[in-house]
Amino acid sequence: MSYSDKVIDHYNNPRNVGSLDKSSTDVGTGLVGAPECGDVMKLQIKVNPQTSVIEEAKFKTFGCGSAIASSSLATEWVKGKTVDEALTIKNMDIVKELSLPPVKIHCSVLAEDAIRAAIGDWKKKQETAKPVAVEAK
Amino acid sequence: MAQPLTTIGAKPAPEETQSCWSCGSMRAAHFCEACGKVQPPAPVDYFAFFGLPRKLNIDVAVLDKDFYELSRKLHPDLNARAGSQEQQWSLQQSSMLNDAHRTLKDPVRRTQYLLKLEGVALEEQSKSATEQARASGQAKKQIVPPDLLEEVFELNMTLEELRAQKKIGEDDPALIEEVGRHKIELEEKYDGLLRELQANWKTWDALIDRGQAGETISDNEYRQALDKMVDVLNRRNYIRNLVRDVNEALEN
Repeated sequence: MSYSDKVIDHYNNPRNVGSLDKSSTDVGTGLVGAPECGDVMKLQIKVNPQTSVIEEAKFKTFGCGSAIASSSLATEWVKGKTVDEALTIKNMDIVKELSLPPVKIHCSVLAEDAIRAAIGDWKKKQETAKPVAVEAK
Repeated sequence: MAQPLTTIGAKPAPEETQSCWSCGSMRAAHFCEACGKVQPPAPVDYFAFFGLPRKLNIDVAVLDKDFYELSRKLHPDLNARAGSQEQQWSLQQSSMLNDAHRTLKDPVRRTQYLLKLEGVALEEQSKSATEQARASGQAKKQIVPPDLLEEVFELNMTLEELRAQKKIGEDDPALIEEVGRHKIELEEKYDGLLRELQANWKTWDALIDRGQAGETISDNEYRQALDKMVDVLNRRNYIRNLVRDVNEALEN
């Protein structure tokens, strides 16, 4: 099976590899896995608490080229979006952009799961952190 | 455990060719009882091919014995003088016999095959769960337990470090020892998961037995038993890949 040029590009030059401070209240972390292939994907976002805009996104994926490309693309796409906008990203958008073959669709599902998990983690933190943040202002 | 071998040669009545999914009387279809000629292959699953119910605890010794007996009778060489239609059937039957034997002999392949027969499509499940999460805004339940994911992730980070060190010709004994310890732990876990899977077989087999005894089993009960096996196999996939990666990192 051959990868598309876009997958190869993301694989060779992955965007936004790295990690953010997991314990920070502005940071949401999503760690997800695809049991079909044993891949793991960690995606982190740093959100501006005033605007809800995702200012930074980092990922680290252990898996095949398509999984790396899907998560790399996901970090590119969520950056600059509000969390609500980021939640509208669908796995099929990733499939189209990267021309993923049917056997690699689960990689795009994983990337969407990672975005949702990261945002979910961030939202949870805001609920528990809110009263403190308001006091501090 | 398996049906007596005398059923092999029995020619089925026409209505039996659509045999019960669990009683497995289709095995009778391989040969004609009267003349011993190979019959056209019937569209049956591998369990039924061997005359077995869809149960997971299989006596592999009996399976092997049946396999050799059938392969002797079905082998295309033995039917070389038969008509071309019969030769064709014998070839098809032999090939199905080999596939069925290979699949049922192995405990994991057997389980995966049963899951497929019972309509469990892992990827489809994951995709529709994501779609549901998207529509409802609820968090998707991850199939793999979070602590296992964490462990897999951390060990992968360590392996990456190990590979990077080896690349520049350095060997950190402490790191190699750490990875070696993980390897032993993972292999124990891997073996443990097979035992866990076999424990889940019992649950499934008991449902089949109860169903055969005339009891009504709800879809939910079947589903739960299948889900447990899916869960074990999922975790096993991760551990298997990890062990492979650990071995590669240690060897290179």
